[in-house]
Amino acid sequence: MSQTLTIARRELASLFYSPIAYIVIALFALGTTMIFFSSFAPDAPATMRPTFEAVVWFMIFLVPAVSMRLLSEEYRAGTIEPLMTSPIDEKKIVLGKWLGALAFFAALLLPLIVLIGVLQYNSSPDYGPILTGLAGLLLVGGLYLAIGTFASATTQNQIIAFLLAIFIICLFTIALYFLPRSNLAESYPGLKQAMFYLNVNMQFEAFNKGLIDTSNFVYFASGIAFFLFLAVLVLQSRRWR
Amino acid sequence: MIDVQSLVKWYGPTRAVDNISFNIPAGQIVGFLGPNGAGKSTTLRMLTGYIPPTFGTASIAGHDVVNESEQARAKIGYLPESTPLYTEMRVEEYLHYRGRLLNMPRNLRNSRIDTVCDRCGLAANRRRLIGQLSKGNRQRVGLAQALMHEPPVLILDEPTAGLDPNQITEVRKLIGELRGKHTIILSTHILPEVERTADRVLIIAGGRIVAQGTPEELRKSVATGARVLVELWADAAEVTTSFKNIEAVRDVETSSHEGWCRVVVTPRGNRDVREAIARLCATRGWAVREMRYETATLEQFFIQITATQSQSASPAA
Repeated sequence: MSQTLTIARRELASLFYSPIAYIVIALFALGTTMIFFSSFAPDAPATMRPTFEAVVWFMIFLVPAVSMRLLSEEYRAGTIEPLMTSPIDEKKIVLGKWLGALAFFAALLLPLIVLIGVLQYNSSPDYGPILTGLAGLLLVGGLYLAIGTFASATTQNQIIAFLLAIFIICLFTIALYFLPRSNLAESYPGLKQAMFYLNVNMQFEAFNKGLIDTSNFVYFASGIAFFLFLAVLVLQSRRWR
Repeated sequence: MIDVQSLVKWYGPTRAVDNISFNIPAGQIVGFLGPNGAGKSTTLRMLTGYIPPTFGTASIAGHDVVNESEQARAKIGYLPESTPLYTEMRVEEYLHYRGRLLNMPRNLRNSRIDTVCDRCGLAANRRRLIGQLSKGNRQRVGLAQALMHEPPVLILDEPTAGLDPNQITEVRKLIGELRGKHTIILSTHILPEVERTADRVLIIAGGRIVAQGTPEELRKSVATGARVLVELWADAAEVTTSFKNIEAVRDVETSSHEGWCRVVVTPRGNRDVREAIARLCATRGWAVREMRYETATLEQFFIQITATQSQSASPAA
């Protein structure tokens, strides 16, 4: 475990060394604040729902920008060689990288706390859905970062890792938004239901409303585990070549 | 300590390493010598578990590098070619990170960092960013990192590449100081490096071991190539027949330059024929304007045996 945390710690520190981090933080803070205040009115409900909903769409581009360098940069700089020749399991490398990125992502959400403070100052919001919404954002972030970790494991080119992650995420968001609403899906109700279940936004919706059950957690946990497992396989395959 | 059995590595259609076997007992320093692209790095990468062998086996301290990869890797301190490091970290910070990766407790880490920084001459640069260090100092960080956990086996891939002559001497001295404490493999394409430090030299070309032995042994096998060059004023045919009459002479080659006859005399065995030649020239009354005794250096031997292989050598280093 301590090896995993060592990797996570180094990853988190190095994310803060790169200018990309600050661009992502600035973009995120600016975007969320704008959306928050666009729905901020005297007669509007005291809720973070519209803001969180927009944040999830933002994350399609922002999270891959955080994850794209995780392994690609190691390949490009050659630092993967001392790492892979250390007595450490690939699972720990991947898990550590993902955890480091997740910690960075959690820090990214801090401006939201300020906005919640603004809400508290002006009215009395219901904290139940806000807390589950924040938890949902963390889980969506964790899933997107797992996808990004996998994408980054496949190439030494950060741009390709970035685009590949966006592509996969779009499958789980945009593609699974339109497909279940298509005519084809109407004739296969089971398939339609499955597609709605797999849609990230539908899953997040439950968190945002504050209506969650185990199936929502199973969705994110298995999604994260699946993509991290793929990343481990890709990393291990370097030893077979 | 290191046991390698018929290691083969194919990169697609090219055979980078072709059936290499060797055995290194504990405490020995072995030099891996070969031109660029001979298969040195590929062999070392297979030993460190970075890439798998296509065929063959290798073990470090009794642990197979494929089946017990993690145990084998724990025994190795490795300096990869071109010393990849995290440039955004400070020297001390990086060494702490390596120590934690190797599961070293904090106290041990602190004391080992002091030791390796002193030993590698990094004491003054401990707080500096790796990205701001000179090539020589980065190489020192690479070495310090490899020494962190006092591994029984040190694998150094071109530890002196890109360094200036002073730094090369320092690194060579450092490796010399590590003698006896670690089993060391170092690779290089520069000959004097292994000539001074290594107990044994493996010359590798085209993915194969083409010669091996102690530097002494290799030098001896070279010495048989000694020959004498003479330039004198005489008729070439006459020179050839009379030189060939000298008992210790095996072969005579002549060529003419503006009337001067240039003769290359190859002696039998390793005998010195200079005196006999001088006496002969004196009795015949030939004017000699140059006589030179040429022993092939280890360098020439290296060039000679690797040149024949290099046509078939693959591009992978």
